[in-house]
Amino acid sequence: MLGELKQVLGPAQHGRLYRYLAWLCAWSVLEALTVVLLVPLLGALLHGDFDQAWRWLLAMAGMTAVTCVARYIQSMRGFALALVILETLHGRLGDHVARLPLGWFSSEKVGRLSRSATSGTMMATNLFAHLLAPVVSGVLVPAVIALAMLWLDWRLGVTALLCSPLIYVAHRWAADAIARNDDVVDGAAAIASNRVVEFARNQHTFCAFGRTEEGYAPLEAAIDAQRVAGGSMLAQTFPRILAGGLSVQLAFAVLVAVGLWSALHGSIDPVRLVALLALAARFVGPLAEAAAHSGLVRIAENDLRRLADILATPPLPEPATPRAATEPGLVEFDAVSFAYRDGEPVVGGIDLRFPPRSMTAIVGASGSGKSTLLKLVMRFFDVGSGQVRVGGVDVREQDGAALMAQLAPVMQDVYLFDDTLEANIRIGRPDASDAEWREAARLAGVEEIADRLPEAWTTRVGEGGSALSGGERQRVSLARALLKKAPVVLLDEATAALDAENERFVQEAVVRLRRDATLIVIAHQLPTVMAADRIVVLDGGRIAESGTHDELIALDGRYAAFWHERRRAKGWRLTAKAVS
Amino acid sequence: MSDNAGTQALAALRRPVSGLVRGGVWMGAIGALTALLPFVGLTELARALLVPAPDVGRVVTIALIVVMGLALGWGCTGLALWLTHLADHRLQASLRRAMVERLGAVPLGWYSDKTSGQVRKAVQDDLTDLHHLTAHHDVELAGAIALPIAGIAYLCWIDWRLAVLAVLTWPIYAAAYAWMMRGFGDKMTQLDESFGKVSAAIVEFVHGIAVVKAFGQGQRAHKAYDDAVGTFGRRYAGWVRPLLRLEALTSMALSVPVILVVSLAGGIWMIGRGWIAPLDLFAEVLVAVVIPQTLQALNQSITAQKRAQAAAGRIEELLTVSPLPRPVHPEEPADASVVFEDVGFAYDGQNAVLDGVDLVCHPGTLTALVGSSGAGKSTLARLVPRFYDVDKGRVRIGGVDVRHIDPRRLYRHVGFVLQDVQLVHGSVADNLRLGRPDASEAEMIEAARAARIHERIVALPRGYDSVVGEDAVLSGGEAQRLSIARMLLADTPILVLDEATAHADPESEAQIQDALSSLARDRTVIVIAHRLASIVSADRIVVLDQGRIVQNGRHEELLASEGPYRRLWQAGHPTQDVEPERKIS
Repeated sequence: MLGELKQVLGPAQHGRLYRYLAWLCAWSVLEALTVVLLVPLLGALLHGDFDQAWRWLLAMAGMTAVTCVARYIQSMRGFALALVILETLHGRLGDHVARLPLGWFSSEKVGRLSRSATSGTMMATNLFAHLLAPVVSGVLVPAVIALAMLWLDWRLGVTALLCSPLIYVAHRWAADAIARNDDVVDGAAAIASNRVVEFARNQHTFCAFGRTEEGYAPLEAAIDAQRVAGGSMLAQTFPRILAGGLSVQLAFAVLVAVGLWSALHGSIDPVRLVALLALAARFVGPLAEAAAHSGLVRIAENDLRRLADILATPPLPEPATPRAATEPGLVEFDAVSFAYRDGEPVVGGIDLRFPPRSMTAIVGASGSGKSTLLKLVMRFFDVGSGQVRVGGVDVREQDGAALMAQLAPVMQDVYLFDDTLEANIRIGRPDASDAEWREAARLAGVEEIADRLPEAWTTRVGEGGSALSGGERQRVSLARALLKKAPVVLLDEATAALDAENERFVQEAVVRLRRDATLIVIAHQLPTVMAADRIVVLDGGRIAESGTHDELIALDGRYAAFWHERRRAKGWRLTAKAVS
Repeated sequence: MSDNAGTQALAALRRPVSGLVRGGVWMGAIGALTALLPFVGLTELARALLVPAPDVGRVVTIALIVVMGLALGWGCTGLALWLTHLADHRLQASLRRAMVERLGAVPLGWYSDKTSGQVRKAVQDDLTDLHHLTAHHDVELAGAIALPIAGIAYLCWIDWRLAVLAVLTWPIYAAAYAWMMRGFGDKMTQLDESFGKVSAAIVEFVHGIAVVKAFGQGQRAHKAYDDAVGTFGRRYAGWVRPLLRLEALTSMALSVPVILVVSLAGGIWMIGRGWIAPLDLFAEVLVAVVIPQTLQALNQSITAQKRAQAAAGRIEELLTVSPLPRPVHPEEPADASVVFEDVGFAYDGQNAVLDGVDLVCHPGTLTALVGSSGAGKSTLARLVPRFYDVDKGRVRIGGVDVRHIDPRRLYRHVGFVLQDVQLVHGSVADNLRLGRPDASEAEMIEAARAARIHERIVALPRGYDSVVGEDAVLSGGEAQRLSIARMLLADTPILVLDEATAHADPESEAQIQDALSSLARDRTVIVIAHRLASIVSADRIVVLDQGRIVQNGRHEELLASEGPYRRLWQAGHPTQDVEPERKIS
């Protein structure tokens, strides 16, 4: 947990964290020692020696003053760290996340991230402000009291010390069972949640096939499995938690028994025993209190772990001395291979050169590595081996912003900001003149969208662009790329060509873009493929064929087969009657 | 959302397990009461021991009572937590079921990208957040009420002045607490509001990060995020910072050493005045230090409690989405005809997407819906399987309004092939049998063959038992053919196809066309066409524009007349336009 606390606070705060923990421990020890003074004080009181009692009370008051000072310092230090979390953790999280490779952002991660960044940070704040102190003192105070007892009366001291391992083992036993069951329960919960989300996300399909009416067996099984896992967790862990708590009570009972036995056999003064038993009660109290916080501490621990995990994710390394591009518009792959997971290469042995102002079409079946190539150009990931050069310089040797300045992507996932249509296009180049962005918008077919919208260009597009259809979002994305006037344009045609209209705009944009930019297109439409200077055919992550349309047709290989297949598809007529 | 609404939502959600929770609360209260027993017992033990000749039997009896009281107390607290954990466990299971049931009953129009995130949050995080409230909070609260009351009552029973002595330092903290919490409601509303902005900023920041990086706008979203978190941090810190010193100082009033010193000083003085005996003070000291701890534990769970209330509000929101109304007297369609009568529809109830659509699709014919994006063709098609209910007019299947057909029967009449294929996590066979879980193996294989996917499935590591996404890694086109086979197996007389080739790999497109054509045979088919080439021989082509039918006829007829269809046809066949361009370059 200390490691996670350090991670969440950040390196600059490690010293303060240590000092806080030191004061926290000092306060706990001082408080325990103050409480230990109860024994001589109560002894004097019960013996009727009031002068002695007043003297001990004075000593206790002095110790209390010191304890209060320590308590005040540790509280204020804890609050200060809580404020550090409150004021800086969000920012540090943002800075860190912004430096992570884009490949990191799966939808699952994004959901977890938002949760961690909102309620997780509040829990971490609370940890320093309120939670850590009772837990630490709940363990330290009894430990110091047990040691002090050894000095006050060896029989009770030895008993207390002998009971400690018992208490520890019992709690460990319970904690292990909880941890073990937690994994099972978490696993079952994850499966059930995924089933519910699958059910929600694929509602059209489930509805179309009647599953919403007649039930979907795997979903019900998953919910049932989760219920069973939760039930068995309760059945398995509760006896142990009870036993763990009972061990504390048992320790107290044994102390009482040993004390009474000694007192009744005359080896301990009854007055002293009564005073010692009062101390024994304070031995048990803090432990129970620490246990009472366990539920909250577990929640806080989980939040803390998630936050620490995010902060521990290595960011994309940035070069110490970035190099500027030397040959604008040139993109090269030099013996590139890449794998998302070790041993499962997605692309391998890729040697490609995209000269400035050329147009290259990449074709191949899905999973052949087409979009991976584009992602490597944008440095969503770093290559496993080889080199990707943009503008003549390895992408890893360039400043992230400088690399992106050379690229204009039109990718499958288009995100629009909850802002006006105009602002979303202007993202392409904020300092563009009105004429320039209007021209880009016209070319990409956004003008027609604006015409239809109630407030034209100033219509807000909703969170994520929810007010526009998929094809319309793509056009906005196309307009951004046109406006950016970057030397390299990366275009994934797959979704851009949702319908005939979009297809037309894509074609027009391609014609326009290739005048000034290097164009790399994942092509699906024959016209686009045929318009390219060069066609690269990918198969299983490797380059199968490469050349012009005519060369590849003459080769009569995979491309030729693809071409003929496509011609056949174009020639198909879907009809209810006249099919073979 | 306001606290009040959250609390109400919570109460409603927890009603089914309220018996268990009540049991837990009583047990928790008893457990808290018995926590006092050892202190009372120790005092009695001291009374019995500190006499000239202690009665050993009495001493042992008291000791046994103390030990048994401890065990009983712990047992009660344990039982209390067990009951509330059981309640939480049952509540989660029943809520999850209720959510699924609701998810299956709401109109499809409710679903969007946003809501799937909301559903995930509700089923994963919100249910977890409820845990603390159900399983811990009430038991803690019961203890925090029962223990101080009983402790003070016990001290009053010995001597009322001792009770006063025990709570002597409380007003210091109570006054400070009241001062710190003044305007708490307003502050919380303000903080909730800026916290909401933080959440929104985070979502925009992480979702838009690719765009942000690609267009060198790193500053933009980052700045919005920094602004939001900065405002929140400053507001919160600005509120609590002046209070921290006060909190740190006044909370000492409830700390063990301070209470000890005050109790002992006051007590010794009282003994001196002859009001109490030393052992009475002994009892007071033991009890006085225990009481404040429970109160503080309660105070610290406020964050978790707030979180749970917000979670309950969101769960409640999900559970109260109105379901699609069901027919009281369901009717059975007579045939496979589909008729639209003066249909009007708007997603938001205002901006009509469809308006005055009249259309008849006879059994055994193929109707193609065409038009530019936003024309309403997908919406029109989606009204047939009743994904949405019309606002105006009606949609009839086999002469019966779809709203009068039992939803359980409707899907046996209407099949729907989506543009984006949705495969579920399960084996290939599970996916194929989705619409007909009882289909035989032979029927399943026949459907797969007809959809040109059988060979591919057989080539998978475990054939039909391969699990989608694990050892059945399918390309987009293959997944599409699988979904077509699924549709064939479901064997519905009416079929709605969102022309399924847009996302396909070029290589598998021809095969998909083959599969679709075998699916279309002998059924009433409505195709949402994105590419006109594939539907030129449809029995009828319906051209939609801004929610209205503007043209209607066969390909040749439509092409012959000047109109939107001819323009669409020319826009969709740019091959001729691109060829010259290629020569220029």
